[in-house]
Amino acid sequence: MDFILNPFVTLLTFLYSIFANNMVLAIVVFTIIVRLITYPLTVQQMRSSQAMQKLQPELKKLQEKYKGDREKMSQEQMRLYREYGVNPLGGCLPLLIQFPIFISLYQAIIHALAATPTQLLDLSGRLMIPGLDQHIPLENTWLGMNLTQPPTIAGVDLASIIGIVLVGLVVLTTWLQFKVTMPATPPSDDGKPNQAQAMSQSMGTIMPLMYGFFALSFSVGISIYFIVSNIVGIVQYALMGRANFRNIFGGGKGASSTPSASNGAAPTKIEGKAKARPVGTKSTQRAGKAK
Amino acid sequence: MKIPFMMKRRGMLLIVLIVMLAATACVGGPIEANWGHLSLVGEPQNILFAFSDRMVLIDPADGSPVELRDANGNIRVDDQGNPRLWEVRGSGNTPTQFYTSPIVLDDNRLLATSYMGRLYEVELSAARIVNPEGRPTEGHVVANVLATPEFLYVPLSEGRVEALDRSNLTQAWTFDEPEHGVWAQPVLVDDTLYVTSLDHHLYALDPDTGEEQWRVDLQGAIASSPVYSDGYLYVGSFARKLFKVSTDGEIVAEYATRDWVWGSPVLVDGVLYAADLGGFVYALEDNGDSLDPVWEPRQAASRAIRATPVVTGDVIIVGSRDHNTYWLERDSGAEIFRREMVGEVLADMLLLEPSETLNIPEPWIVVSTMANEELLVAFSVSDGVRQWAYRR
Repeated sequence: MDFILNPFVTLLTFLYSIFANNMVLAIVVFTIIVRLITYPLTVQQMRSSQAMQKLQPELKKLQEKYKGDREKMSQEQMRLYREYGVNPLGGCLPLLIQFPIFISLYQAIIHALAATPTQLLDLSGRLMIPGLDQHIPLENTWLGMNLTQPPTIAGVDLASIIGIVLVGLVVLTTWLQFKVTMPATPPSDDGKPNQAQAMSQSMGTIMPLMYGFFALSFSVGISIYFIVSNIVGIVQYALMGRANFRNIFGGGKGASSTPSASNGAAPTKIEGKAKARPVGTKSTQRAGKAK
Repeated sequence: MKIPFMMKRRGMLLIVLIVMLAATACVGGPIEANWGHLSLVGEPQNILFAFSDRMVLIDPADGSPVELRDANGNIRVDDQGNPRLWEVRGSGNTPTQFYTSPIVLDDNRLLATSYMGRLYEVELSAARIVNPEGRPTEGHVVANVLATPEFLYVPLSEGRVEALDRSNLTQAWTFDEPEHGVWAQPVLVDDTLYVTSLDHHLYALDPDTGEEQWRVDLQGAIASSPVYSDGYLYVGSFARKLFKVSTDGEIVAEYATRDWVWGSPVLVDGVLYAADLGGFVYALEDNGDSLDPVWEPRQAASRAIRATPVVTGDVIIVGSRDHNTYWLERDSGAEIFRREMVGEVLADMLLLEPSETLNIPEPWIVVSTMANEELLVAFSVSDGVRQWAYRR
């Protein structure tokens, strides 16, 4: 992991040095830089997720059509994805990329802030820009909390209150980002939430709790990363005109299947050779022939 | 076949759980905060090794754990009839970690400092903590306490030095000017207490009151104690420099090293020997207002040399994070031989002089590694023959 960790530690220390030895500001700017670098992946995730939403009616038809033939159904699904240039795992890639970034950042914070002799020893040799040594050790306390330690929420002191607020903000911003970036999903014909919608709703509950768990388990610095990353994510979606703020208040639930109608954003494009065709027609016909 | 939604939901929860566990695993569990310390205590002398959750006594002759004996000299046994070994672990609900050498208070009493900031009185003959709750200090302790007949000077990781009255362990004064940790044992010379800090400063204090006499900025964090000789202090810093400082706080000479200097230098016959975290070893001649190399700096090790070098006879012995201990020629820095071990060598080494009482026929060097499989290894200084090893 050194090839990721060393640049991270160097960048964090460099930002710390140019922002008046303020580690929190360094983490904030670091997070914004990471989000900007991974912006193409965010766009890909957004397109992939919206394209998948758009394909849901067709996928549902395929499921009904090939109820007894799972293999055939899989083949037809893959054919459909290929036809519309959709990668079913495209939405996962940015999430997978986030994972090593999160792990590396956690390690970078621990290494850069080096609270113990073994950690400080490990920091030596990681700084890739000459002259950063003079800033070692970095200040690791913020509002009475140690940035390398999980927030303490057991006491009744100011640090505990701030710790609780911090974890709460992680949960809240994760939930907000999830809601805002989730495209509106049409309900089933019977008016009940379809499977994709129900899964999304579950994820909308699980993800914030999972990040809350991370915030409680890891360091205060990571919580700051989560909060800033979520806020930047929301801003990015808003700037792209894809933010679905009505989802926050339940307005997106059961809204029109056309994203432009649900959130006022531009219509979703499904990229690929079949994008000019009405969704569903051709593949349904082909499926019929196959039968 | 359609997968029921509840099963999908469970699958999703399982994936989330795996991600959480993987994240926890990837960030790693707790690692040691520090490396161990070796010292000689008791009569006859045994090696006291403080590392991690316990302190143990080791027989210097063969590396075996020392057994507890009663007043008649008989080995004490536990309920199963096994011999009871000299071992001190923390007590109470708070996990205790020992990384520093205890102070010998008298023939049968030690004062051990835990990393978590407690002072424990230990009965040497019984390996028993007398005060299980411990006397709290004002922070974490990562370096040895300096003991004088009147005071105990406790360096604290929170950027403080706490002076305790030795007779009753009450606080005499605290010095909290450092903005970062004090990670090295203070040094007392001619009624002045010298304290180094990660905040880049070397401080001179009044040992009775803690009043600051002067401070000097050494341009980088300082994690080691200064060495005193003939009116000057010698110390290295993370500014990649070795400094010669007068006892009134003036930098008299400095020498640029290749990397951070962590271990204290050693002054032998007017030559300053030091090592850095880049694996380089230095021999510098003190020419008054300059420190000049006796031989060109030599990269002895491929990784950091954290510990203070040991200079004895014609050799310099250094241990490295690359798992090796190196024997170098003192007059050229050339490698004579090396000995490989299981773990990284970070702790200061212990030189055992020949002793008939201890059954040590020639000088031995005891090297500590970070690996439980080989925590201590004793080598003969002359030819590097392995004498014994201690594992946990």
